[in-house]
Amino acid sequence: MHRRAANILFFLDKRDNAGSIQAVANYVSAGEEMGIRVAVYGEPDEKFPRIRFSRDVESFDYVVFILESRLQWLSGLRLPRILSSVPRRCRAVLDADGAFNPRVSFDGYDRNHIDERDRSRWLAYFRELADKVMQPTLMSIEPNVLPLPFYGYDPKAQVVPEASPAKQFDIAYVGHNWWRGREVSNSLLPAFEQIYASVGPIVFIGLWWDTAPPWASQLGLEAAFYLDRERFHRLGIQIRPPVPFTQVIPTMSQAHVNLMTQRPVLRHFRLLTSKYFELFCADTIPLVLLDPELAEEVYGPAGRELTLDGTIEKKLLDALDRPAKYREHVADVRHHLVEHHSYRKRLCQLVVTLES
Amino acid sequence: MKLLFAAELTRFARSTYTLWKYVEVGRALGHQVAIFGERSADTPSMPHTLEVEKFDFVIFVIHVPSDFPDLPYLARLLDQMPKERRVIIDCLGRYNETIRVEHDFNHLEKLDGHQGWEWIEGFQAVSDRILQPTLRPLRSDVKPFLFHGFDPAAVTRPYANAAEAAQAWIGDGNGTGKVYGMAYVGNNWQRWTQVRKLLEQIEPLGSSLGRIALVGFDWARRPEWASQMGLDAVDVDPVLFGRLGVETRDAIPFHEVNEFMGKARFNPVFHRPLFHELGLVTNRTFETFCSDTIPLLMLPEETVREIYGESALPLMPGEQLRNRLSDMMRHPEVYWEAVLRTRSYLAEHHSYQRRFEELIKILND
Repeated sequence: MHRRAANILFFLDKRDNAGSIQAVANYVSAGEEMGIRVAVYGEPDEKFPRIRFSRDVESFDYVVFILESRLQWLSGLRLPRILSSVPRRCRAVLDADGAFNPRVSFDGYDRNHIDERDRSRWLAYFRELADKVMQPTLMSIEPNVLPLPFYGYDPKAQVVPEASPAKQFDIAYVGHNWWRGREVSNSLLPAFEQIYASVGPIVFIGLWWDTAPPWASQLGLEAAFYLDRERFHRLGIQIRPPVPFTQVIPTMSQAHVNLMTQRPVLRHFRLLTSKYFELFCADTIPLVLLDPELAEEVYGPAGRELTLDGTIEKKLLDALDRPAKYREHVADVRHHLVEHHSYRKRLCQLVVTLES
Repeated sequence: MKLLFAAELTRFARSTYTLWKYVEVGRALGHQVAIFGERSADTPSMPHTLEVEKFDFVIFVIHVPSDFPDLPYLARLLDQMPKERRVIIDCLGRYNETIRVEHDFNHLEKLDGHQGWEWIEGFQAVSDRILQPTLRPLRSDVKPFLFHGFDPAAVTRPYANAAEAAQAWIGDGNGTGKVYGMAYVGNNWQRWTQVRKLLEQIEPLGSSLGRIALVGFDWARRPEWASQMGLDAVDVDPVLFGRLGVETRDAIPFHEVNEFMGKARFNPVFHRPLFHELGLVTNRTFETFCSDTIPLLMLPEETVREIYGESALPLMPGEQLRNRLSDMMRHPEVYWEAVLRTRSYLAEHHSYQRRFEELIKILND
């Protein structure tokens, strides 16, 4: 039986250096290859060169709202256009940060909601926007949530060594300091302290590594931007501003080793992010602060070898000293990702979920 | 008629005073008027409700995106009130192509996250009936409805005649009956160019005018967010303020504005450059005439004639501000005559009762 293409319109908070924009760009590309029209609600924007935009809401079969850390962009001015022209059965929500889940808090640090009132507010949005709530995970821990890994791997984006930019750093971290500072302070900085005399430049590229934003205290969010900055500076770690999503992979490729941490709440919910896969497109050795079991689930058996489980400083030195060994692990992971996590595969899963 | 207004009420800005009056007048005329939403601590005296189905129309009063309710309240409005019974009053001319006038604008994405087309499509998704508080909307699918009005009962000192008014205004005979010579009550948003020009014009008057006050948000200093966004319309000039002894005060709640304006001999009426372009009126267009003050109409002559009538022309100093002020201080009775006649004109043509009836007629059409 011939099934008609399910054209998909994403509705998201447009940010060129954060969130799910890289994934959406890949969905657009995969859709082009597969004859499925994928776009983002809005007008063409030069800051988003790989994104197709459309305002023609009625010409799409499904609208997928991608909800991340804030709701303000879903304004009462913007929503009626969608709510009045797209039937509820054709709408779904991707809950990227686990806001649908019961409230959890980690030692007064990271949390999915500041209080129950905040959760109720989010649940009201879920309830009004759609019946289907998806989370980017291999296995949802909530019964009413549809698991959909959502983020994926684009082999065409892989930077081959011959095309890679010159290595400027030994170790890089590309991402914002948003609920990452405690793990960086407690795990990575002590490790750097052990080895800093033996390694080349270390760089953190992203927002809020130098200082918390001025509005943090007004919103009671100082903890989200915490960092042991004294230690950070003592180690001579460089800080660079964030790069747009189109430059993330080339930027990662400037370092021999790239690190990934995940904010505690996302790790607790076992939620995936773009970064899980972008790292393996870059010409670098990714080392991830993940549970080895999860790393194996996502990356295959070789993923275990790339986790920073145990003595971080030894692993870092080993990766820098014996890159060939790690490149083999990276190659194995890439094979696994092509087979299991391509965006073509992801798009098929999304369509099936939307049509279910 | 049962009317439900949807708007974000704030004590310090936008149309809260006007809506307060609609509640009052609607009740007096035998209608039911309420504000959609949970009861607001800012406006405890206003009736609030979530029972959409009990009303005949929902009227969205829109200045900023947050005037549209959030979910789930928005969905309740859209689900329970059919589109043909929803109306939008577009207070800032959002439902137009993008317009730039001096530093002013009707759409600016970096300020509120919305592009021009979103205002058009958003409004069209909510309602087929869009009203703007102007006599001359630019778009053919917009109806003119001034919305704001004049409440004769709110006039703080309804003098019997100009002589009595002038005498009270002079006070003890040396012009010191009032705390301020001039006050402007309004937030520092898209008025700076006009305020600066006014201050420069009156500087030569020196102490003969009396103290000067600017009351509202962001007069004390240019806000940091304006610098970050590169917005020029929220400037201040501390040096100029220092030279003239200008006092800057925080914003005051809507129900205290009338009384405060009465503490000054003169209160200028400014419209934003965008409002000049679109002919939009505001609550302050009318409210200033309720105060015990001489309003200075810093507006185009055409607007003055259309809104206030011919009697108000002496209150429009144009480029002769300094001379006109001197004359007003020498011959206040002449100008109070203009104020009293204009009050009568406003009571006849722009009362909230009349405005309410106009709205009912539009809804019934």
